[in-house]
Amino acid sequence: MEFKIVIAGKGGEGIIFMTRILAEGAFSIGIPVISSEIHGMAQRGGSVISQVKLGKFYSPFIPYGSADFLIATSKEEGERNKIYLKPDGISVVNSPDPSPFHVDASGLAQKINHPKGANLILLGFAINKMGFDEKPFLEAIEKFSPSFLGEKNKKAFLFGFSISKEKSS
Amino acid sequence: MIRRVFLGNEAIAWGLLKEGVSFATSYPGTPASEILEAVIKFNEEYKLGIFAQWAINEKVAFELALAHSWLGGRSAVSMKQVGLNVALDPLMSAAYTGVKGGFLLISADDPGPYSSQTEQDSRFLAMFAKIPVFDPSSPKEAMDMIKEAFELSERYQIPVMLRPTSWVCHARQGILLEEELKPTSKKLSLEKDLYHWAALPRRRYVLHKELNEKLRSIQKENGFKRISFNGAKKAVVSSGFPFALLMDVLKSLGLEGSVDIYKVDRPFPLSPSLNDELSSYEEILVLEETYPVIELQIPYREKTRGRLDGTVPSQGELKPENILKALHLLLGDFPFEKINDLKEGSPPRLCPGCPHRATFWAIKKAFPQGFFPSDIGCYTLGLEMGAVDAFLCMGAGVSLAEGFYLALKNAGQKIPPICATVGDSTFFHACIPALIDAVNKKAAFVLVILDNATTAMTGGQPTPSNPPKNLRKVEMEEVIKGCGVEFIKVVDPFDYPEMERSLKEAYAFSQEKEAPAVIISRRPCPLFEEKETQKRSFILKLFRENCKSCMLCVSESRCPALEKGQEGLVIHQHLCRGCGLCAFICPNQALILTEF
Repeated sequence: MEFKIVIAGKGGEGIIFMTRILAEGAFSIGIPVISSEIHGMAQRGGSVISQVKLGKFYSPFIPYGSADFLIATSKEEGERNKIYLKPDGISVVNSPDPSPFHVDASGLAQKINHPKGANLILLGFAINKMGFDEKPFLEAIEKFSPSFLGEKNKKAFLFGFSISKEKSS
Repeated sequence: MIRRVFLGNEAIAWGLLKEGVSFATSYPGTPASEILEAVIKFNEEYKLGIFAQWAINEKVAFELALAHSWLGGRSAVSMKQVGLNVALDPLMSAAYTGVKGGFLLISADDPGPYSSQTEQDSRFLAMFAKIPVFDPSSPKEAMDMIKEAFELSERYQIPVMLRPTSWVCHARQGILLEEELKPTSKKLSLEKDLYHWAALPRRRYVLHKELNEKLRSIQKENGFKRISFNGAKKAVVSSGFPFALLMDVLKSLGLEGSVDIYKVDRPFPLSPSLNDELSSYEEILVLEETYPVIELQIPYREKTRGRLDGTVPSQGELKPENILKALHLLLGDFPFEKINDLKEGSPPRLCPGCPHRATFWAIKKAFPQGFFPSDIGCYTLGLEMGAVDAFLCMGAGVSLAEGFYLALKNAGQKIPPICATVGDSTFFHACIPALIDAVNKKAAFVLVILDNATTAMTGGQPTPSNPPKNLRKVEMEEVIKGCGVEFIKVVDPFDYPEMERSLKEAYAFSQEKEAPAVIISRRPCPLFEEKETQKRSFILKLFRENCKSCMLCVSESRCPALEKGQEGLVIHQHLCRGCGLCAFICPNQALILTEF
């Protein structure tokens, strides 16, 4: 199995954490993984992307027009980074608009009183669309969240995952 | 086997500790910062008991690590590429003196650049210093190369460089490890070695000759691999991250066997036997980052494509699209269409709640006609607020302010208020000699030290005035006083009126006394405070009936939590940290910060 995934958003929205959970979860079930993430000045509030490749690859870079999934924290970043998607690629976007591949992660995060958990709602939603089981990713969240956020983060992820399930059934 | 997903810099740290490094130091800088962070983390996790601490700057870090190597222990010093400029002096000399315990210099390059002033290629500095350099293409390979690098360093008693780039340092890769880390113990021995350690110029000639002999021997060790060898007429020679890109691009095109591939692990000194093998090809393409280090060592000019003939761009990082284009020029037998590049996204900004934002705002208010040199750190982002006019390299904030003042004064021209900004970590790193020079030369300007108690841009490493608990604190005020500065005032940047008043007071003093005046703008960075106290105790409220949509809050603060929407101001509550600057800026009491 091979997947190329681009995660797009702004610095400070938890893009690195999403990348990490995706990479850790996939590798824990035996899928080779290589990803890239932006640190330092470039991440301070500006547009950032992470690229994640699952399967046998040498580099984390994804050529334009070849990503299987694009996960975007806003419509604006989703639109801008569409260039990475292959023609039948799927873009999962944080947006209140009705669409099987949109989820209002920011609104739902407010609802569960965890505004910073929007990234994990979106990730849970996307991971269901990829056809993965939720368990390895929940374990990764448990392992890498600060202790006081572990439960809240898992809840946010599961919330996104289950909404995605409902939407596809 | 142990399964771990490692950031490239964690893989490097693991490799260092696996090879028995007992002394590791560094000065933080993207993309190298997480190397020492991970060494410190693993050192604690596995109770290895090695020395792993941050140094005040790269030159000091290099010299500390060299001393340890001279006593026989394995040493590692890591830095970003421009950090190596600071440590170039000891590097050049250490190549001659040689080392005893294995000595690994890790200099991380930043093609792009993403977070640097230059795209310089550290491999050229390895060549300039005449030391071998390894060029990994992935986290796993960086980890594995460390073993060979230490063995080479000890075999020839020479410093060795590992040169990862951003996408090796900041790639995350699933890696299978053979075993957990274990403490190793090696006794150091202080045997004086004057022949090497205290060589006067005449013996330096001899040491230089010895260094050249070492390099000739090292050249005989291959340092390259044949990856694909089908007797094709054309060959690609590649190293580092571009090699990883190349392999993926060839696979996606289904062209794996159509060209012979050589991977160079050690770009300098390049093995003559590689050139022997390359002699029989009709055409050769070289893919490397960022400068043509390997390419320049290949003698067959007419048949070599790369950066020198424009097949590969001479600036910027290599992306799959560049590799595709270069392969198309070399092989020409697959369809190729140019894809428009990604539209530029929004630029980086100071974080919400950043105390620097408040300081910059006050500087603009105090000196509307001012001239603003700055330095290297988060605060270069003050550019967006119009409060930064120039920055160059670590420490130059102070010397540029001094230089502009002295130049205008000497020319007898009008001098605007000059107000320089530097961070706390940068102040200790390189500003102290410049400040003493400014006192000596009677340079009248205001220096604002943005003291947020950490090295924020690179992830929150300690500073000399905020060291880890077991180290001794150096008081910033005492150091400034010791430099001969007579005006020093500490101000909380969130006390906006007081900051503005103090800046004007400092300026008046500097003019009257013909001396630099220093304001310490002191408030911790909220990014690193938050981890302990992640609680919200405020809410920023917008009273729409008062808002006249003047958008001064947006344009003056440039805060990411505020945005001009279609129906007026939008507050992004999940980003707001409640600093209250926007509420202070608002002339109509439309924004109110309430605590709860």
